[in-house]
Amino acid sequence: MKMFEEKWTAWLDDELTGDELVEFEASLPDKAAAEAEKRDAHKLGAFLKEQLQGRAMGNEEFFHHQLREKIERDARAGVAGGKADSPRAWWPIGRLVWVGATSLAIFCICTFFVMREKGPTDQSQYLSQILNARVDPVVSPNATISMFESKKDRVTVLWVDGLQSLPSEYATK
Amino acid sequence: MQRRSRLLLGVSLALIIGSALPARASQTVWSGLVIANNVAQPEAIPPELNRFEGTLKELFGYNQFKVIGQSRKTLVTGSEDWLASSKYFSLHVDSKGGTDAGYLLNLKLFQEKNLLLETETKLSKASPLVIKGPLVGDGQLLLLLVVQ
Repeated sequence: MKMFEEKWTAWLDDELTGDELVEFEASLPDKAAAEAEKRDAHKLGAFLKEQLQGRAMGNEEFFHHQLREKIERDARAGVAGGKADSPRAWWPIGRLVWVGATSLAIFCICTFFVMREKGPTDQSQYLSQILNARVDPVVSPNATISMFESKKDRVTVLWVDGLQSLPSEYATK
Repeated sequence: MQRRSRLLLGVSLALIIGSALPARASQTVWSGLVIANNVAQPEAIPPELNRFEGTLKELFGYNQFKVIGQSRKTLVTGSEDWLASSKYFSLHVDSKGGTDAGYLLNLKLFQEKNLLLETETKLSKASPLVIKGPLVGDGQLLLLLVVQ
Protein backbone atom coordinates (compact mmCIF):
# COMPACT_ATOMS: atom_id res chain seq x y z
CA MET A 1 0.00 0.00 0.00
CA LYS A 2 1.57 3.30 -1.15
CA MET A 3 1.59 6.32 1.11
CA PHE A 4 0.12 9.61 -0.08
CA GLU A 5 3.54 11.18 -0.59
CA GLU A 6 4.60 8.29 -2.80
CA LYS A 7 1.45 8.57 -4.86
CA TRP A 8 1.87 12.35 -5.06
CA THR A 9 5.41 12.00 -6.37
CA ALA A 10 4.34 9.35 -8.86
CA TRP A 11 1.43 11.55 -9.97
CA LEU A 12 3.79 14.50 -10.49
CA ASP A 13 5.98 12.26 -12.62
CA ASP A 14 2.95 10.97 -14.58
CA GLU A 15 3.58 7.50 -13.39
CA LEU A 16 0.11 6.76 -12.02
CA THR A 17 -2.24 4.97 -14.40
CA GLY A 18 -5.67 3.30 -14.47
CA ASP A 19 -7.71 2.97 -11.33
CA GLU A 20 -4.88 4.16 -9.17
CA LEU A 21 -4.79 7.50 -11.09
CA VAL A 22 -8.57 7.88 -10.85
CA GLU A 23 -8.56 7.13 -7.17
CA PHE A 24 -5.70 9.51 -6.41
CA GLU A 25 -7.19 12.43 -8.39
CA ALA A 26 -10.51 11.87 -6.65
CA SER A 27 -8.78 12.07 -3.29
CA LEU A 28 -7.21 15.45 -4.03
CA PRO A 29 -8.96 18.24 -2.13
CA ASP A 30 -8.18 20.92 -4.77
CA LYS A 31 -7.43 19.38 -8.12
CA ALA A 32 -6.80 22.73 -9.87
CA ALA A 33 -4.15 23.72 -7.33
CA ALA A 34 -2.58 20.27 -7.65
CA GLU A 35 -2.45 20.56 -11.46
CA ALA A 36 -0.82 24.00 -11.11
CA GLU A 37 1.74 22.54 -8.76
CA LYS A 38 2.37 19.67 -11.20
CA ARG A 39 3.04 22.12 -14.02
CA ASP A 40 5.44 24.12 -11.84
CA ALA A 41 7.26 20.92 -10.92
CA HIS A 42 7.62 19.99 -14.61
CA LYS A 43 8.90 23.48 -15.42
CA LEU A 44 11.44 23.32 -12.58
CA GLY A 45 12.61 19.89 -13.72
CA ALA A 46 13.09 21.07 -17.29
CA PHE A 47 14.97 24.15 -16.10
CA LEU A 48 17.30 22.15 -13.86
CA LYS A 49 18.02 19.63 -16.63
CA GLU A 50 18.95 22.45 -18.91
CA GLN A 51 21.14 24.32 -16.41
CA LEU A 52 22.91 21.41 -14.74
CA GLN A 53 24.31 19.85 -17.92
CA GLY A 54 28.19 19.79 -18.09
CA ARG A 55 29.73 22.79 -19.80
CA ALA A 56 31.72 22.00 -22.89
CA MET A 57 35.45 22.87 -22.44
CA GLY A 58 37.01 25.11 -25.02
CA ASN A 59 40.57 23.71 -24.53
CA GLU A 60 39.80 20.15 -23.66
CA GLU A 61 42.88 18.69 -25.38
CA PHE A 62 45.25 20.91 -23.44
CA PHE A 63 43.90 19.76 -20.08
CA HIS A 64 43.97 16.14 -21.17
CA HIS A 65 47.59 16.51 -22.16
CA GLN A 66 48.48 18.14 -18.85
CA LEU A 67 46.74 15.43 -16.90
CA ARG A 68 48.44 12.63 -18.85
CA GLU A 69 51.86 14.18 -18.26
CA LYS A 70 51.21 14.55 -14.55
CA ILE A 71 50.11 10.92 -14.28
CA GLU A 72 53.22 9.74 -16.14
CA ARG A 73 55.51 11.84 -13.95
CA ASP A 74 53.94 10.48 -10.80
CA ALA A 75 54.19 6.94 -12.10
CA ARG A 76 57.92 7.38 -12.92
CA ALA A 77 58.67 8.94 -9.54
CA GLY A 78 56.80 6.12 -7.85
CA VAL A 79 58.87 3.48 -9.66
CA ALA A 80 62.20 5.26 -9.07
CA GLY A 81 61.85 6.26 -5.47
CA GLY A 82 58.95 4.28 -4.20
CA LYS A 83 57.59 7.43 -2.58
CA ALA A 84 55.49 9.11 -5.19
CA ASP A 85 53.22 10.69 -2.66
CA SER A 86 55.87 12.79 -0.84
CA PRO A 87 58.09 15.49 -2.38
CA ARG A 88 61.80 14.38 -2.38
CA ALA A 89 64.52 16.66 -1.10
CA TRP A 90 67.69 16.62 -3.27
CA TRP A 91 70.15 15.90 -0.42
CA PRO A 92 68.27 14.42 2.50
CA ILE A 93 70.30 13.90 5.67
CA GLY A 94 70.54 10.15 5.14
CA ARG A 95 72.06 10.46 1.70
CA LEU A 96 74.42 13.22 2.84
CA VAL A 97 75.74 10.99 5.61
CA TRP A 98 76.10 8.07 3.22
CA VAL A 99 78.02 10.11 0.64
CA GLY A 100 80.25 11.60 3.34
CA ALA A 101 81.09 8.19 4.76
CA THR A 102 81.81 6.80 1.28
CA SER A 103 84.10 9.72 0.41
CA LEU A 104 85.96 9.32 3.69
CA ALA A 105 86.41 5.60 3.09
CA ILE A 106 87.75 6.20 -0.42
CA PHE A 107 90.12 8.88 0.87
CA CYS A 108 91.41 6.51 3.57
CA ILE A 109 91.98 3.73 1.02
CA CYS A 110 93.89 6.07 -1.33
CA THR A 111 95.93 7.46 1.58
CA PHE A 112 96.77 3.94 2.73
CA PHE A 113 98.10 2.95 -0.70
CA VAL A 114 100.06 6.18 -1.16
CA MET A 115 101.61 5.97 2.32
CA ARG A 116 102.43 2.30 1.85
CA GLU A 117 104.20 3.12 -1.41
CA LYS A 118 106.27 5.90 0.15
CA GLY A 119 106.88 4.34 3.55
CA PRO A 120 107.24 6.64 6.55
CA THR A 121 110.77 5.42 7.37
CA ASP A 122 112.03 5.62 3.82
CA GLN A 123 114.95 8.05 3.86
CA SER A 124 115.40 7.91 0.08
CA GLN A 125 112.82 10.65 -0.18
CA TYR A 126 115.60 13.04 0.81
CA LEU A 127 118.94 11.25 0.52
CA SER A 128 120.50 9.07 -2.13
CA GLN A 129 121.41 5.60 -0.94
CA ILE A 130 124.14 3.14 -1.84
CA LEU A 131 122.50 -0.28 -1.88
CA ASN A 132 125.66 -2.24 -2.62
CA ALA A 133 129.09 -1.78 -4.20
CA ARG A 134 131.91 -4.07 -5.32
CA VAL A 135 135.31 -3.83 -6.95
CA ASP A 136 137.21 -6.46 -8.87
CA PRO A 137 139.36 -8.20 -6.23
CA VAL A 138 141.85 -9.27 -8.89
CA VAL A 139 142.43 -5.75 -10.22
CA SER A 140 142.23 -4.02 -6.80
CA PRO A 141 142.86 -6.60 -4.05
CA ASN A 142 143.32 -3.99 -1.30
CA ALA A 143 140.25 -1.90 -2.09
CA THR A 144 137.92 -0.94 0.75
CA ILE A 145 134.46 0.53 0.40
CA SER A 146 132.60 2.78 2.78
CA MET A 147 129.62 5.05 2.42
CA PHE A 148 128.31 8.06 4.27
CA GLU A 149 126.07 11.05 3.89
CA SER A 150 127.00 14.67 4.23
CA LYS A 151 123.99 16.33 5.80
CA LYS A 152 125.20 19.78 4.81
CA ASP A 153 124.33 19.53 1.11
CA ARG A 154 122.59 16.15 1.35
CA VAL A 155 125.44 14.58 -0.58
CA THR A 156 125.76 10.82 -0.47
CA VAL A 157 129.32 9.58 -0.85
CA LEU A 158 130.67 6.19 -1.86
CA TRP A 159 134.25 6.23 -0.63
CA VAL A 160 136.50 3.70 -2.33
CA ASP A 161 140.10 3.43 -1.16
CA GLY A 162 142.81 1.21 -2.51
CA LEU A 163 141.99 1.31 -6.20
CA GLN A 164 145.05 1.08 -8.41
CA SER A 165 146.62 4.52 -8.99
CA LEU A 166 146.90 5.68 -12.56
CA PRO A 167 149.28 8.08 -14.31
CA SER A 168 148.24 11.65 -14.98
CA GLU A 169 147.59 11.03 -18.68
CA TYR A 170 144.38 9.29 -17.60
CA ALA A 171 143.02 12.68 -16.60
CA THR A 172 142.60 13.79 -20.21
CA LYS A 173 139.18 14.35 -21.70
CA MET B 1 68.28 14.14 -9.51
CA GLN B 2 69.82 10.70 -9.69
CA ARG B 3 72.07 11.72 -12.56
CA ARG B 4 73.20 14.86 -10.74
CA SER B 5 74.07 12.85 -7.63
CA ARG B 6 76.15 10.42 -9.67
CA LEU B 7 77.92 13.28 -11.43
CA LEU B 8 78.76 14.92 -8.10
CA LEU B 9 80.03 11.64 -6.68
CA GLY B 10 82.17 11.10 -9.78
CA VAL B 11 83.72 14.55 -9.56
CA SER B 12 84.44 14.05 -5.85
CA LEU B 13 86.13 10.72 -6.57
CA ALA B 14 88.21 12.24 -9.35
CA LEU B 15 89.35 15.05 -7.04
CA ILE B 16 90.23 12.67 -4.22
CA ILE B 17 92.18 10.30 -6.46
CA GLY B 18 93.78 13.20 -8.35
CA SER B 19 95.06 14.74 -5.14
CA ALA B 20 96.27 11.38 -3.81
CA LEU B 21 98.30 10.41 -6.87
CA PRO B 22 100.97 12.98 -7.72
CA ALA B 23 101.94 13.59 -11.31
CA ARG B 24 105.34 12.35 -12.42
CA ALA B 25 107.29 14.58 -14.79
CA SER B 26 110.39 13.69 -16.77
CA GLN B 27 113.68 14.80 -15.21
CA THR B 28 117.29 15.13 -16.26
CA VAL B 29 120.17 13.31 -14.65
CA TRP B 30 123.62 14.82 -15.04
CA SER B 31 126.46 12.30 -14.81
CA GLY B 32 130.05 13.52 -14.71
CA LEU B 33 133.60 12.22 -14.58
CA VAL B 34 135.55 14.82 -12.64
CA ILE B 35 139.26 15.13 -11.91
CA ALA B 36 139.90 16.88 -8.61
CA ASN B 37 143.38 18.24 -7.85
CA ASN B 38 145.22 21.13 -6.27
CA VAL B 39 146.62 23.86 -8.49
CA ALA B 40 147.92 27.37 -7.92
CA GLN B 41 145.30 28.97 -10.17
CA PRO B 42 142.13 26.83 -9.96
CA GLU B 43 139.60 27.07 -12.74
CA ALA B 44 135.99 27.98 -11.96
CA ILE B 45 133.97 25.04 -10.74
CA PRO B 46 131.54 23.61 -13.33
CA PRO B 47 127.98 24.94 -12.86
CA GLU B 48 126.64 21.45 -12.16
CA LEU B 49 128.80 21.30 -9.01
CA ASN B 50 128.13 24.82 -7.79
CA ARG B 51 125.54 23.87 -5.25
CA PHE B 52 127.83 21.53 -3.29
CA GLU B 53 131.24 23.03 -4.04
CA GLY B 54 131.93 23.58 -0.34
CA THR B 55 131.18 19.96 0.53
CA LEU B 56 133.43 18.64 -2.28
CA LYS B 57 136.35 20.82 -1.21
CA GLU B 58 135.86 19.87 2.43
CA LEU B 59 135.55 16.14 1.76
CA PHE B 60 138.38 15.68 -0.73
CA GLY B 61 140.70 18.60 0.05
CA TYR B 62 141.18 19.74 -3.56
CA ASN B 63 140.68 23.23 -4.94
CA GLN B 64 139.97 22.45 -8.58
CA PHE B 65 137.28 20.23 -10.08
CA LYS B 66 137.46 19.68 -13.79
CA VAL B 67 134.93 17.75 -15.86
CA ILE B 68 136.63 15.28 -18.23
CA GLY B 69 133.47 13.51 -19.34
CA GLN B 70 129.76 14.03 -18.86
CA SER B 71 126.29 13.10 -19.98
CA ARG B 72 122.94 14.76 -19.51
CA LYS B 73 120.07 12.31 -19.82
CA THR B 74 116.39 13.17 -19.70
CA LEU B 75 114.51 10.26 -18.19
CA VAL B 76 111.05 9.70 -19.57
CA THR B 77 110.15 6.18 -18.52
CA GLY B 78 112.79 5.91 -15.78
CA SER B 79 114.16 2.74 -17.38
CA GLU B 80 116.92 4.01 -19.63
CA ASP B 81 120.69 3.67 -19.81
CA TRP B 82 123.46 5.97 -20.92
CA LEU B 83 127.21 6.49 -20.88
CA ALA B 84 129.41 9.32 -19.67
CA SER B 85 132.95 8.87 -20.92
CA SER B 86 136.38 10.44 -21.16
CA LYS B 87 139.37 9.20 -23.11
CA TYR B 88 140.20 6.38 -20.65
CA PHE B 89 137.20 6.14 -18.35
CA SER B 90 133.56 5.49 -18.93
CA LEU B 91 130.62 5.42 -16.57
CA HIS B 92 127.73 3.26 -17.66
CA VAL B 93 124.44 4.14 -15.96
CA ASP B 94 121.47 1.80 -16.18
CA SER B 95 118.28 3.16 -14.68
CA LYS B 96 116.03 0.35 -13.46
CA GLY B 97 113.01 2.51 -12.78
CA GLY B 98 111.84 5.68 -11.15
CA THR B 99 109.68 6.46 -8.14
CA ASP B 100 108.60 9.73 -6.63
CA ALA B 101 111.70 9.60 -4.45
CA GLY B 102 114.21 9.12 -7.28
CA TYR B 103 115.76 6.48 -9.51
CA LEU B 104 117.22 3.05 -8.95
CA LEU B 105 120.54 2.99 -10.81
CA ASN B 106 123.18 0.43 -11.62
CA LEU B 107 126.56 2.13 -12.13
CA LYS B 108 129.66 0.63 -13.71
CA LEU B 109 132.97 2.43 -13.92
CA PHE B 110 135.28 1.18 -16.63
CA GLN B 111 138.94 2.03 -17.20
CA GLU B 112 139.03 1.35 -20.90
CA LYS B 113 137.62 -2.21 -20.93
CA ASN B 114 138.34 -3.08 -17.29
CA LEU B 115 135.49 -2.90 -14.82
CA LEU B 116 136.85 -1.02 -11.80
CA LEU B 117 133.71 -0.55 -9.74
CA GLU B 118 130.04 -1.54 -9.77
CA THR B 119 127.33 -0.25 -7.49
CA GLU B 120 123.56 -0.18 -7.07
CA THR B 121 122.17 3.11 -5.83
CA LYS B 122 118.96 4.96 -5.23
CA LEU B 123 119.54 8.42 -6.58
CA SER B 124 117.31 10.92 -4.85
CA LYS B 125 116.14 14.04 -6.62
CA ALA B 126 117.23 16.18 -3.71
CA SER B 127 120.56 14.49 -3.02
CA PRO B 128 123.62 14.29 -5.32
CA LEU B 129 125.76 11.16 -5.39
CA VAL B 130 129.56 11.33 -5.28
CA ILE B 131 131.84 8.33 -5.80
CA LYS B 132 135.51 8.48 -5.04
CA GLY B 133 137.43 6.72 -7.81
CA PRO B 134 141.11 5.94 -8.31
CA LEU B 135 143.99 8.37 -7.86
CA VAL B 136 145.02 9.82 -11.20
CA GLY B 137 148.41 11.56 -11.28
CA ASP B 138 148.37 14.17 -8.52
CA GLY B 139 144.60 14.20 -8.40
CA GLN B 140 141.55 12.07 -7.89
CA LEU B 141 138.83 10.76 -10.17
CA LEU B 142 135.33 11.49 -8.89
CA LEU B 143 132.03 10.31 -10.30
CA LEU B 144 129.05 12.55 -9.77
CA LEU B 145 125.35 12.08 -10.42
CA VAL B 146 122.84 14.88 -9.95
CA VAL B 147 119.12 14.99 -10.69
CA GLN B 148 118.40 18.40 -12.19
